[in-house]
Amino acid sequence: MSAAIRSESEGGARSDRELMREERAIARKYLGRVPWEMVAWGLGNFCIWLAIWPLTISGLLPAWAAFILSTLCVCVCYLPSHEAQHSIIGAEGSSLRWLNELVGHVSTIPLVLPYRIAWITHRMHHAHANDPKLDPDISNKADTWWQSVWNGIQSRQPGAENPYKTAAGNSDDPNIQRAIIQGVALRTSHFLILAALAWSGYAIEAALIWWLPRHIGTSYIQLFLSWAPHHPMEEKGRYRDTRAWRSPIGTIASMGMEYHLIHHLYPKIPLTQTGAAFHEMRALLEERGIRNDGL
Amino acid sequence: MNSLDLIRKGFEWGPLLFGIGFLAPLIAQSLDAASISAPLGLSNVQFGLLIAIPMGTIAKLRGRWV
Repeated sequence: MSAAIRSESEGGARSDRELMREERAIARKYLGRVPWEMVAWGLGNFCIWLAIWPLTISGLLPAWAAFILSTLCVCVCYLPSHEAQHSIIGAEGSSLRWLNELVGHVSTIPLVLPYRIAWITHRMHHAHANDPKLDPDISNKADTWWQSVWNGIQSRQPGAENPYKTAAGNSDDPNIQRAIIQGVALRTSHFLILAALAWSGYAIEAALIWWLPRHIGTSYIQLFLSWAPHHPMEEKGRYRDTRAWRSPIGTIASMGMEYHLIHHLYPKIPLTQTGAAFHEMRALLEERGIRNDGL
Repeated sequence: MNSLDLIRKGFEWGPLLFGIGFLAPLIAQSLDAASISAPLGLSNVQFGLLIAIPMGTIAKLRGRWV
């Protein structure tokens, strides 16, 4: 049913244009603020993760505690960079652009995710969400969450077809060459640091602080940022490629991704405000026919 | 061969390099931490290499660790 012929309770149908105008009026209330909490989150989390190394190597922090702390750090490190990928912290040409780029680059180092590659492939995801050929995140599609985790592990195998690599290869972004060089440098540095630590007698520490948490964090992020909010990844279109959903482990543990729909509609709304924006916009969005699984 | 080709070659042999560079010492130090001695009179590092090199080679050939 078209949105234009709904809304009879308000005494008449509203046109697509009217609905869009109302939706944008609400969205504007949440746009434009610098999310300082994400800056603190991104840089603070990176500093905590860095501090784990000397604390563990010096024996002040037990290895098991380092593993738990580091896994938490890696799991939460992506979102500040995600804000930067959308230039929410500082738009191009603004005085805070340097901070946007700093947060973008630094916060995903524990995840060994190169910022420029993430930036380019994430934009491809927004432009082609759920498209089997063009969405770099489509490999996370699965009937169940555990199948999605397994698919993610498989896509990280050395000989697997990596959809992000393929997407980067197909990208016509003018920064792609620079992004690939940065990506290669980050991956190579990661391996060299792991090897240097391992052959210096700190293999267990390196495994528990970086190698294993990185794999756990990658699976967690793919599950909650990609699989859950886009499940079942069958439909395309502004109001159907992402869903509102109730997370069984709560909003915080699922990193606010219950409201990821708002992010796809208005990517520049800061993460911490997508919930409020959703609740204010909810009636309009339901009129548009969004998928709402329990919110 | 320029530096990018060299790095690409390095990535192709990534599983074997990972086996030698990381897995072997990890196995050796895990044995040390558990106070287990390697069999056949091997040192723990030799034992780590004995396990990690075939694992890395198989992963390189199969294109997968798991």
